[in-house]
Amino acid sequence: MRINTWYVSSFLTSLIVAIPIVTVFSSFFEDTTNYFEILKNTFLYEYIFNSLTLLVGVLILTLIIGVGCAYLVSFYDFKGAKFFKWALILSFAVPAYIYAYSLTAFFENYGTLYSILKTIFGDGNYNKQIPKFDGMIGAILSISFSLFGYVYVLTRASFHHQSQNLIELGQNLGFTRQKSFFSIILPSARPAIVAGLALVAMETLSDFGSVSFFGISTLTTGIYDSWISFDDLAFANQLSFYLLIFIFALFYIENISRKKAQYHTPLKGGIKIKKKIKLKGIFSFAAFFICAIVFFVSFAFPVLQMLYWSIIFPKNFIDLNISQLFFNTVVLVFLTSAILLFFSFLSNYGNRVTRSKFLKLLSTFSITGYAIPGVILAVAFITFIAWFDNTIIKFFGLVSIKKIFIGSIIGLVIVYFIRFYSLAFNGIKSGYEKINKSIDESSYLLGYSKVKTFIGIHVPYLRNSVFLIGILISIEVIKELPITLILRPFNFETFATTAYIFASQDLLEAAAVPSLFLILIASSFILTTSRYILKG
Amino acid sequence: MQNNFFEINNVSFVAGGKNKVNNVNLLIENEGEILCLLGPSGIGKTTILRTIAGLEKIKDGQIILKNKILSSKNKHVEPEDRNVALSFQENCLFPHYNVEKNIDLGSNRRTRKKKNINSKDIIKLLNLEKILNKYPHEISAGEAQRASLARSLVSQPDLLLLDEPLSNVDQNFKEEIQVELKQILNNSKITTIIVTHDSYEAFYLGNKCGIILNGQLRQYDDPYNVYHFPNSIEVVNFLNRGILIPAKVTGENSLENEDLGTIKGNFTKHYPKGSDVQLLLQPEDLEHDDKSNLKLEVVDRKFRGTNFIYTLKTNSNLLIPVFVHSHHTHQHEVDEKFGIKRPINIEHIVCF
Repeated sequence: MRINTWYVSSFLTSLIVAIPIVTVFSSFFEDTTNYFEILKNTFLYEYIFNSLTLLVGVLILTLIIGVGCAYLVSFYDFKGAKFFKWALILSFAVPAYIYAYSLTAFFENYGTLYSILKTIFGDGNYNKQIPKFDGMIGAILSISFSLFGYVYVLTRASFHHQSQNLIELGQNLGFTRQKSFFSIILPSARPAIVAGLALVAMETLSDFGSVSFFGISTLTTGIYDSWISFDDLAFANQLSFYLLIFIFALFYIENISRKKAQYHTPLKGGIKIKKKIKLKGIFSFAAFFICAIVFFVSFAFPVLQMLYWSIIFPKNFIDLNISQLFFNTVVLVFLTSAILLFFSFLSNYGNRVTRSKFLKLLSTFSITGYAIPGVILAVAFITFIAWFDNTIIKFFGLVSIKKIFIGSIIGLVIVYFIRFYSLAFNGIKSGYEKINKSIDESSYLLGYSKVKTFIGIHVPYLRNSVFLIGILISIEVIKELPITLILRPFNFETFATTAYIFASQDLLEAAAVPSLFLILIASSFILTTSRYILKG
Repeated sequence: MQNNFFEINNVSFVAGGKNKVNNVNLLIENEGEILCLLGPSGIGKTTILRTIAGLEKIKDGQIILKNKILSSKNKHVEPEDRNVALSFQENCLFPHYNVEKNIDLGSNRRTRKKKNINSKDIIKLLNLEKILNKYPHEISAGEAQRASLARSLVSQPDLLLLDEPLSNVDQNFKEEIQVELKQILNNSKITTIIVTHDSYEAFYLGNKCGIILNGQLRQYDDPYNVYHFPNSIEVVNFLNRGILIPAKVTGENSLENEDLGTIKGNFTKHYPKGSDVQLLLQPEDLEHDDKSNLKLEVVDRKFRGTNFIYTLKTNSNLLIPVFVHSHHTHQHEVDEKFGIKRPINIEHIVCF
């Protein structure tokens, strides 16, 4: 029998992605320690309540900030509008946990704000007047300002693609600006807004860094605690099960919304450039002020806070082995990107060439990884390896594989692969969707084989997509915290883990340098690809 | 045994799991012949081309090129191994290469130099010199179609398949290209199958024409015969170059119509005297004569540059097209009476 490379590679990818899902679902019926009973009677409802409170708070805030900013830069011409259009996406470079460090550092007793007030007004008891953004409020603010970019980018792209004719039609019908917004613009962008909010919701439920920093017990921190503190993998997996049900519902909503969002995009005739309304006077200032505040709070504030600390505590800068952290990050970025791009190309080309429904189904299944929180992926991966080692490996009397996969670069890259496969797969897929099938056929008819078509036609055509996806994967890998924290080899640190470790030891000023580097590297990547990101 | 250049033997063409055209038998005897396939949209003409090119498989029958089986139930030669070029109707230029590079890629498959085709000549013929450095997204649909045609031609295939090759080309440029294209195909002896919905294009370019209707190849003949001797009412209706009027056979060489009277000519098929038939009346069958006492009412007049096509209404409300040279002295307006020369003589009488 001839071995079909496309099937084998797609099947392998799906198999790897299936590991955490199957592990979580199968361990639902396993016995747990009495920690479960204790937790069920005490904390479980608190976990669920906190997760939901956080979710609702973040969704409301990201909806207002994301849609508001997207509307202003898409429909109005005011001073700085062009700058804010791309500057607002820089918030992607600030992970929620670093935002949380900045927020705490600024508003805490004798923190940065206290120092500023003292410098301006002299000694005084300012700590009582300074608001404290910690606990749930702090987490909601941190996550919202870190994630509103999803809603902003998708909504702005939708507004950008909205037909000018549609808007002019509203004017012809005598609609006021307000009525046009609520009757035409907003309903037309709804699928994009819902898709953005679903992404925000998934990321919020997955968040580990900021909620653990603020000491909020959510399902995600519960999973981490039950594994780290109580050594109860089975219970960690049972908590994951509850969380996954939530998240798959969101994943489904996001997918449906994305498909609908495409229907709202004009397919033919290009985009008629929207006539922006020129704002003057107080209105222009108000629009500028709103965008400037969002930009400052979401990006400039954490950067300045980290920069301030890096400057006033230069010892932290000198003590940190930046070149080693940089090297470790680059290794992870390079390995993950290369493997992800290779398999995404293989699966996409396989789907294109074979037109197999089964292969398509496998591919759809294999992109579900991005919906699963990093903590769950890491814990489930360890569970699976432990099970495999204790049963299959033991049965055949082979050497233990635990060391190969747990606490190793290999294990880390495999779980990154599961988490970010959808990013790479969908990126290549959207590039492929722009290549008409008849172009492949033309190539065959000119005498090019399938391999030659792939190398000579697809790869050169998709090089921009590959570059973009490589950058996006890099940003994600640089920011990623829970998977790296759980699965990294001994003494192997990245900027993210270093910042987290310092912060968890209450050494926020020491967390500033790695945080600053992380933000700067991610920002430079975002700026390189801003043109593509803005297309949504 | 006769060695035909290309054969389709009893093949049913399938696209998307649905049978499009069934049990097709088709033959191109000699290298260099041009075959045109005509049929309404969605009937399966493109499917036939795609199947011949190897982009679709067949379940029965055989497709044979130069005595080599390309497709059968058990065999499928891959498209890249067939030396068959297909020029698609839509823009299928490689988007990341400019027009020149796209055309150059066509020469990739050139394994034999016997066909005397020079890419510079093709570029000139198709008026592509000015857009050679442009990318596909920077050119019009018509230009893209011509570039695609050039790429196929320079690949010098054994069999060239053209899917509506001039559908996006400007009308004023179309006829010029048709002439040049025919010349180049004849000179280089490239055997070609052209799919088109334009019967004039098919009649001009093709040595043979195939009419595909209702999932079948209904007629396969040379253009003159297809036009003048359609073999079924469906073909007449599809070509839309005449109408069928009721008549009664009155003799060996005559029939009678209620409105037009006696019509004489040579029957292409024998019908017993007294038979009721449907007579094919084409625009050039009737002659204009103002002195005639057979007058019909003008209901429409189409000016076609070299000629007029009058639509005339008979007493029994039949609408009959009549061809008149545009320089005829007496033009008739709508609602006026139009004289038809009597007796009516038709070169060949086609009845159903």
